[in-house]
Amino acid sequence: MNLSDCHNFDDFRILAKKKLPSPIFHYIDGGSDDEITLNRNTSSFNDYDLIPSVLNDVSNVDMSTTVLGEKIDFPLFPAATAMHKLYHHEGERASAKAVEKVGTIFGLSTMSTVSIEEIATINKGPKLFQLYIHKDRGLTDNLLERCKKAGFTSMCLTVDTVVAGNRERDRRTGFTTPPKLTLGSLLSFALHPGWTINHLIHEKFKLANIIHMTQKGTSIDKSVIDYINEQFDPAMNWKDAEYCVKKWNGPFALKGVMSVEDAKKAIDIGCTAIMISNHGGRQLDGSRAPLDQLSEIVDAVGDKIEVILDGGARRGTHVLKALCLGAKACSFGKGYLFALAAGGQKGVEKILENMKAEINRDMKLMGCRNLKELNRSKIIYRKN
Amino acid sequence: MNLRDCHNFYDFRELAKKKLPSPIFHYIDGAADDEITYRRNTNAFNDVDLVPNVLRGVENVDLSVTIFGKKLDLPFYCAPTALQRLFHYDGERAVGKAAQKFNTMFGVSALATVSVEEISSIIDTPKMFQFYFHKDRGLNDSCLERAKAAKFDVMALTVDTITGGNRERDLKTGFTSPPKLTLSSLYSFATKPMWGINYLTKGKFELPHLQDYVKEGTSTNTSIGNYFSTMLDQSMNWNDAEKLCSQWGGHFALKGVMSVEDAKKAVDIGCTGIMVSNHGGRQLDGSRSPFDQLAEIVDAVGDKIDVICEGGFQRGTHMLKALSIGAKACSGGRLYLYALAAAGQAGVERALNQYRLEIERGMKLMGCTKISELSRNNLRFRKK
Repeated sequence: MNLSDCHNFDDFRILAKKKLPSPIFHYIDGGSDDEITLNRNTSSFNDYDLIPSVLNDVSNVDMSTTVLGEKIDFPLFPAATAMHKLYHHEGERASAKAVEKVGTIFGLSTMSTVSIEEIATINKGPKLFQLYIHKDRGLTDNLLERCKKAGFTSMCLTVDTVVAGNRERDRRTGFTTPPKLTLGSLLSFALHPGWTINHLIHEKFKLANIIHMTQKGTSIDKSVIDYINEQFDPAMNWKDAEYCVKKWNGPFALKGVMSVEDAKKAIDIGCTAIMISNHGGRQLDGSRAPLDQLSEIVDAVGDKIEVILDGGARRGTHVLKALCLGAKACSFGKGYLFALAAGGQKGVEKILENMKAEINRDMKLMGCRNLKELNRSKIIYRKN
Repeated sequence: MNLRDCHNFYDFRELAKKKLPSPIFHYIDGAADDEITYRRNTNAFNDVDLVPNVLRGVENVDLSVTIFGKKLDLPFYCAPTALQRLFHYDGERAVGKAAQKFNTMFGVSALATVSVEEISSIIDTPKMFQFYFHKDRGLNDSCLERAKAAKFDVMALTVDTITGGNRERDLKTGFTSPPKLTLSSLYSFATKPMWGINYLTKGKFELPHLQDYVKEGTSTNTSIGNYFSTMLDQSMNWNDAEKLCSQWGGHFALKGVMSVEDAKKAVDIGCTGIMVSNHGGRQLDGSRSPFDQLAEIVDAVGDKIDVICEGGFQRGTHMLKALSIGAKACSGGRLYLYALAAAGQAGVERALNQYRLEIERGMKLMGCTKISELSRNNLRFRKK
């Protein structure tokens, strides 16, 4: 199996599984506790049906939209995710280049393995930086200032990680960052020599944005769970978020908002967008799926703030369903990370092009020429 | 596999399965008829999703609740269960000490294998005695008097065992109390020699609350279903319960109430609490799950008596859901019994700590710092 055999999410996942040592594969693939929320994030889409219109002349379809202050070619972008060099030795360089090529927003994580400054030289398109508030508040200011200077176009603050989720697969596989050889995982690293050789001969793994402020996660073997619990600030509150919004003074999203109450507060503190998200089912298991919660949020605040659906979308039709319910755009993590592991820059390009082509085809089948034509009249909730 | 490898409910179950002769494992693990209710007790939690709030400053979380006038450090406790020395030679001693360590309620069964007097000499934290209404009135009086003299805080009358449930696994394995070697179970006892050695050398198997009055269970082998059917008084009615309630003269609960009508009657006869329970799916198969029935009961009597949700809990988030509906506390048997079988007191302590951490993490991710902040606003029932 290789990249040319990858036609959908599941194919990329299978190829990634072949290429990655198992602790790393399961770090991407897993969720928290019993993975109820992880599974619901995607299965929720199947409880909604689309109702197409016909004979609408769909020879030209415009999939573009404006989100986070930037016009993008289609309503999907890769969510900011951590540590791309674990998945492919080129790391965020590969994903940033791929994203620029297909014409959407690139999300860079605080926990990235390529620096803010370097990404800015590689990707000239719209760029979102994803911020974690560390206990060391100097780090927050430092990151905001560097992103501004480097020309990032939007900022998002993750608010659903005050404590780490219980990711039991990581506990079993002994996943740490940087990867650590244990007796249990030795075999799996040995069986994936391609990954292991690349990891060893290319530049040293580091958390490029925060290495100067903290040694955790770079020189010391840390599980992600330990890193979050030691470094992130559980006292984080609305004042802290408001401080970041003011300091950034540009398009600003809160990522991980699930309640209407919080969505309204996000407007009050000056956010321009929220990402409805449960962190890909990796934090609070039993948390509602973004799609299930979408209508409630859109009804309350959809006319005042951009609502982005994060998590669970694996098909063009999933994106259309979210847009029908009122989302401005969707973002996804696991899909493009599997693609990155499967084929580096080419892999990420391929999955994004696939999704773009699916959205295009599905728009035509829906009889819609632009995204505005996707609305609640075109979707129905199926009662089981 | 050993205790170090137990990270969740299912791990403890696996380890218990390795340690126990199969009739004893299946006595814990099994339930009535087709075990529909047993499975639903847990699955019910997955039909409800949590909607968290963010940015609330959650560094300190208080998990304490007050039930039956006693403050517990945890919002869950060890439900009274029978025959604990069959599962581990320390039996109720182990569970009682573990409960004391976490300052939560310890429930002691009428079918306990350690006496109320000994329990009260070991632990000084809140204690509940669970009472079966026997045909032998001398036995009934003796139970109440001894529990009173031993300073037990709560008396719980079980009302859902008027006759034995059809526990088919016990029929197949030939489980009885005391355990009896049969041709078919011989192998399973022989392959767990440590259990057998402990059973024979760590003190005689006794039912100290019953054996002065009835031979069944100690010197005469009986299945538990048969014990209920032959020893308990099937004419038991509300008058009997009311008399017991006033005879006890302290906090009194009915365990196994499922209808609103009965919950109201419990209030009328002077009860201070009820356990919404179907006896862990071990009695009436097809009975509604406690969690499914909880809201109805809380709405009717939640402001008048302590409503406890009992059964099905396997995760901290399950408990958060029950507490959000309005349960004052959660309780369970298998919750700690597998852990008891796996490793005695150390096992139960590890399990209780595990659930404590799961609840604490769940609370932080929900944006709640006190149990009273959980409410139905943070729940959404999946549409059916």
